[in-house]
Amino acid sequence: MKRTRGLAAAIAAGVLLIAACSDDKTTDSTTAPSTGDTVAVETTVATDDSTAETVADTTPVTDPVAAGWTVDTDNCVDPAAANAPIEGTIKIGSAMPLSGGAAAAAFAPVKDGFEAYIKYANEKGLLGDINIEVTIEDDQYNAELTPGAVAKQIDAGVNIFSGIIGSPNNLAVRDTLNDNCIPQLAALTGSPAWGEVADYPWTIGQLVPYPVESAVYAAQIAELYPDGAKVSLFHVNNEFGQYYVEAFKELADQYGIEIIGEETVEATDSNPPTAQITNIAAAKPDVIMAVPLGAQCISFLNEVANAKAANPGWTPATFLTNTCASSLILGASGQAANGLYTSSNLIDVVDPANAALPNVAEYLAYMGSVGKSDVAATAGAGWTTAEVTVAILKQAQASPEGLTQASIIKAARNFTYTPTLGLPGVEFKMNGEEDPYLAESLVVRQYAVAADGSGTFTDIGDLITEFES
Amino acid sequence: MKSLVSIREGGLASWALRLVAAAFVIGLVFWVPTSAGAGLISTAIEALTLMSAAMALNLILGYTGQISIGHSAFLGIGAYTTGIFVSRWGFSPWLTFPIAFLIAFVVGVIVSFPASRIKGVYLALVTLALGLVFPQLLTWKKLSWLTGGGAGLPNKDSQLQTTGFNIGRKEGQMLHFEIFGWDPFGDLRRPDNKAAFWYWIAAGVAVIVYLVCRGVVKSRVGRSMVAIRDNETAAAVMGVNLVKTKAMVFGLSAGLCALPGCVVAIKIGSVSPEGITSLTVKGAITFLIVMVIGGAGSLWGPIIGAALYVFVTEKTGEWANDDAIPALIRPLFAWAKVPPGDGIFAVLLILLMFVAPRGIVGVWNQYSSRIVRVLPRPAGAVGPAPMATAAMFTVTDSEGEHE
Repeated sequence: MKRTRGLAAAIAAGVLLIAACSDDKTTDSTTAPSTGDTVAVETTVATDDSTAETVADTTPVTDPVAAGWTVDTDNCVDPAAANAPIEGTIKIGSAMPLSGGAAAAAFAPVKDGFEAYIKYANEKGLLGDINIEVTIEDDQYNAELTPGAVAKQIDAGVNIFSGIIGSPNNLAVRDTLNDNCIPQLAALTGSPAWGEVADYPWTIGQLVPYPVESAVYAAQIAELYPDGAKVSLFHVNNEFGQYYVEAFKELADQYGIEIIGEETVEATDSNPPTAQITNIAAAKPDVIMAVPLGAQCISFLNEVANAKAANPGWTPATFLTNTCASSLILGASGQAANGLYTSSNLIDVVDPANAALPNVAEYLAYMGSVGKSDVAATAGAGWTTAEVTVAILKQAQASPEGLTQASIIKAARNFTYTPTLGLPGVEFKMNGEEDPYLAESLVVRQYAVAADGSGTFTDIGDLITEFES
Repeated sequence: MKSLVSIREGGLASWALRLVAAAFVIGLVFWVPTSAGAGLISTAIEALTLMSAAMALNLILGYTGQISIGHSAFLGIGAYTTGIFVSRWGFSPWLTFPIAFLIAFVVGVIVSFPASRIKGVYLALVTLALGLVFPQLLTWKKLSWLTGGGAGLPNKDSQLQTTGFNIGRKEGQMLHFEIFGWDPFGDLRRPDNKAAFWYWIAAGVAVIVYLVCRGVVKSRVGRSMVAIRDNETAAAVMGVNLVKTKAMVFGLSAGLCALPGCVVAIKIGSVSPEGITSLTVKGAITFLIVMVIGGAGSLWGPIIGAALYVFVTEKTGEWANDDAIPALIRPLFAWAKVPPGDGIFAVLLILLMFVAPRGIVGVWNQYSSRIVRVLPRPAGAVGPAPMATAAMFTVTDSEGEHE
């Protein structure tokens, strides 16, 4: 027995250490969809003529009084609580992976950006005499822990939730929050599930739905190959990848696209996808449509570059999900990233060309003032999420009902807003069941790598707004 | 070593002690859902599911000496059985518990066959492979018609929108849980009521798993298991059917481990390999660590270990970024790239192996016996044991639990 226990302990300790050392792999992949959200902020060039002050004072376009969609609070667990005025302090809750290896490293900046904007909003008095309080619980990107994290915050009197990261995590608390009529704003995932307004009126997603991005690429491929294109798919084998490719496959015929191959990589796999890319190269497609995760983006690009070198004359266009399109990832890919197509709807705050833009300058200056300059490049997603949340609160406050949980969700679903770090023309808007998604506009961009290794994005065409409902 | 007090097993003092301990445990079990908020209740649910999984593992590892690092797969079988049967075929979630048990039992028996021929680190590797392959199997494209692939369940192909007790929001769904007209929870849409409802499901599963484990280890099969653990050859010589016993125990352990998986699926309302860490190999390692730290080969070991694990991970989760933690120490918790609780338990595990290889329960038994020693009844004795005779039996009881 003693020997068995000793062996068990030794194995457990050993595997634990291995797990600790290899944690990057798992968390890289599992967190990447949302990382991408962060990344999306970085990949765009843009101009926005709003000033630093407008960051704080942007007034929603929609007249709150004229809002069409409304919510029925009769079925709430406590209708009175849903309609009770929020005075003095509004408590915002969230759950993010704050520990758990690379997940924590990836999302810590989102938390920092979120908290920084709330601090900014309080300093500027954006909600008048209402103070905004934020608590962000750690769920380690594990949906088993999210209900507990959220329950704890409900116990503490949180009025709304915002910026919960991850599809399974948001799903795990969606019923509870809808039953109790607690707004679940700005879910940081692109799952189409956040558009189920009739069944889940209190839940709203923040990101461009994954199928929309997929459709944008399909349309762009059709433009590049008017006579039809042969496309190979490469995607991560999880919910994130599946949504992308299913949408792409559904649209293929419509855009004259022939799918000639499909290769997958597991979310936890950090090995270079050599075999998969070799298979793709053997089929010689015109286009590779790729949906990898996190560090897989780099290894994918490197493998494609190797395959191109091994197959002279084969120069496929590579379309890469915008979750990969950060300066960090593409910079690490070097020349392998040259020429790829991706998309975005927000400004790349680390591009020196954008540094002089008033909104970017204000953002960077404020992040510096709170000691978060080091994460400013990747904190934009958190900043934007908090900004949208505060804008919704402001609109609700201006409504005849005043600030209540019901007026907040009503404002959110009748909402038009220009994010300060958004590209020109980008509007976050929702309109009840007619337009259940906040962000549906994107611009396709091509990445070019100079001889010195620096990369720049070039817009391909105008902002695509046709998917806006 | 001499104790301050010696009492006889089965005597009045012994029963009084047992009653006090039972009252404490039962009081705690009832206090959580009736007095605590939804947050603490949710934490308790995590502890209860972990306890159940670790107790199931204890049966095969602690009592039978067969190492398994793949029990996460059995928990996953439970979670996916609930997910598939409810969301695809409209089964009642209650029915999925026995179904999950049976499926996991069969899989466990199948896995036990290599276990009957190999042991030690080789068996550990076989079960590790099971733990590693299972999540891959769930995402396998050819099985996605059943499992939902990487996206998990429910998805747009599944008949229902939820795998769990989707309480009250839609027409026809459960608002109240009544037992012969008695409504113990009230409106189940309230977070605290819903948490209490889940809590009692998790607690019920934990109690069932405990009672089954207790029944088994205190039976003839249990003595066979301990005999196999301590010396397989001697056990075989004494007439223990090694293959049959290992197969039954592996199957039972797997079946019991599936039950907390059902609870997890019900609680979350969806299942996916990404969303439930417990069904990955990290989950299996957690069960193992919890069991070893609590005390392998002891009925209470996994319970104590799981409670401690959840408490420590809950309290230390943000130590890497917590300003209350001295800046000099903080980087230690960020360095390992795992939640601080995991790092603390890794260190604790190594330390315990040196100073207390029988885990926390072993330490408790060792030091508590300096104050109160319970003298076991002599074998074959019907009435109360004479003190002089009973004093001869103080090392190990017949179920293999160390005194």
